[in-house]
Amino acid sequence: MSKTSCYIVDNGAYTAKLGISTMEPKVVPNCIMKAKSERRRPFIGSQIDECRDASGLFYILPFQKGFLINWDTQKTVWDYMFSKECCPVNFNETPLIITEPLFNFASIQEAMTEIFFEEYDCQTLLRINATDLADYHYRKMHNNNCTVVVDSGYSYTYIVPYINGKKYREGILRIDVGGKVLTNHLKEVISYRQLNVMDETYVINQVKEDSCFVSQDFMADMEIAQKRGSANTIMKDYVLPDYTTLRRGYLRDIVKKEEDLDQQTLRMNNERFSIPELLFRPSDIGIPQMGIPEGIMHSINSCPEEHMENLLQNIVLYGGNTLFPGFRDRTYNDVRSLALDHYDVNVSLPDNPITYAWEGGKHILTDPDFYSFCMTKEEYEEEGKAVAFEKFDI
Amino acid sequence: MTTRESGRVKEAEKRRVLDDAARKRRARKAIEALERDNFHEDPHADLVMSKKVPKFADSNEKPTRKKKSKSSDYYKMRFRKTFAQLVEEDAGFRPDPPNYMSVQAPPSNFPDRHFCAVCGFPSKYTCIPCGARYCSVKCLGTHLDTRCLKWTA
Ligand SMILES: [Zn+2]
Ligand SMILES: [Zn+2]
Repeated sequence: MSKTSCYIVDNGAYTAKLGISTMEPKVVPNCIMKAKSERRRPFIGSQIDECRDASGLFYILPFQKGFLINWDTQKTVWDYMFSKECCPVNFNETPLIITEPLFNFASIQEAMTEIFFEEYDCQTLLRINATDLADYHYRKMHNNNCTVVVDSGYSYTYIVPYINGKKYREGILRIDVGGKVLTNHLKEVISYRQLNVMDETYVINQVKEDSCFVSQDFMADMEIAQKRGSANTIMKDYVLPDYTTLRRGYLRDIVKKEEDLDQQTLRMNNERFSIPELLFRPSDIGIPQMGIPEGIMHSINSCPEEHMENLLQNIVLYGGNTLFPGFRDRTYNDVRSLALDHYDVNVSLPDNPITYAWEGGKHILTDPDFYSFCMTKEEYEEEGKAVAFEKFDI
Repeated sequence: MTTRESGRVKEAEKRRVLDDAARKRRARKAIEALERDNFHEDPHADLVMSKKVPKFADSNEKPTRKKKSKSSDYYKMRFRKTFAQLVEEDAGFRPDPPNYMSVQAPPSNFPDRHFCAVCGFPSKYTCIPCGARYCSVKCLGTHLDTRCLKWTA
């Protein structure tokens, strides 16, 4: 019953990455959005691209704090994703690989099993952590034994050590800073300093993506940002979209008053690097936790000592936040300075950090033991839901 | 706003100092706010939505499914547990660490850094009434006029 293709869903709290393993994955917002400008209908997933005016978008998300809580919303978005309109599939014929959060709660796991076997008529199912797929992907490429997977996503940043393909649970670390905290904090800061944008999550998320970077020397950049005139190489203006001539904003140099182009702008200065800095120093806004580099060291130090060297040499980053310019270099430099000198440190950032776990699903399909990882509908019907807890190492 | 009146208000505020519990409450609320999905009302709240937006199940070309697709409302009823309930339940399912609660990153070993609550640059001073940080007289003024004790958690 070997298949040459499967359907892979990396079901993230902000975007789902999905598609048939033989094709390019689609990145689809895992939510329903409502616009002020269009009162006839809500926008499901990628339908938001049809929305002419994205100001004041209202979000309805299936996930809360990184877990699938709102099942009616998720069901609506999944129905859309699996339909002709998005990325059609017949689970009767195609095996499904779907990701779940680490330490996913028991009743959510049970619901996942039930909904795919009973509602979507799935015949072959593999429920797995996205970090497992990322580790698999990385080992396929590097032929290594030990990996530290850093998944910096929307709700959290997870640091997960893998030893010979198995996650070493005692070394797992969760930092409660992800893309959502960054966007909300940026919103807060801009609303206090310049312009009330509390209703503009969608736009400010784009401001974040287009303007922010990870500082390589935080205090030095703070000094630059306090300089006046052209000595301040950090200060820029972000031109906000007006949805008539401009659909997405952009960052531009400061222009002189007289050349002003009658555009609504946000002044971006220390915000550009102090926002992503929260991933490295959550305590900057009073979250009493380690940042990513310190967390990586803590995680590695919790693993058996004989694997330490191997782990330090195989650190892989993925998830939306890793797209900030400078993210990899800062992580590398900080880990380098924290690790003992005689160890090599290697930190890699894949070409596409958004779909890295999804791509791992493609590799795992080719594993000779792939079907032993999966659960079939017959097994589910004969042995019941409880078997899924033994089968899947979530 | 007359200067005399605002001066008097300021005098009164100077004597008020937030206690430690209030400061902690305020800090916790600020962090909780970072979890929110929306800060405004549903723009369609006043609309009566047709019950079945979009009808994907009906429009699928090949009805290979034997049974009728269950509505999303069914799943809302079938699996309704709040995040807090799930965390509580997890204590039974995964009583021993590592579990969701235990893997939270511990505090950093680096000393805390402090930034001006107004402009975001490094700060040296602490506001006496509320404990917020500020960097200059100018920022302190803005802070006293806009935040400080203006809202109390
Ligand atoms: Zn200041
Ligand atoms: Zn104050």
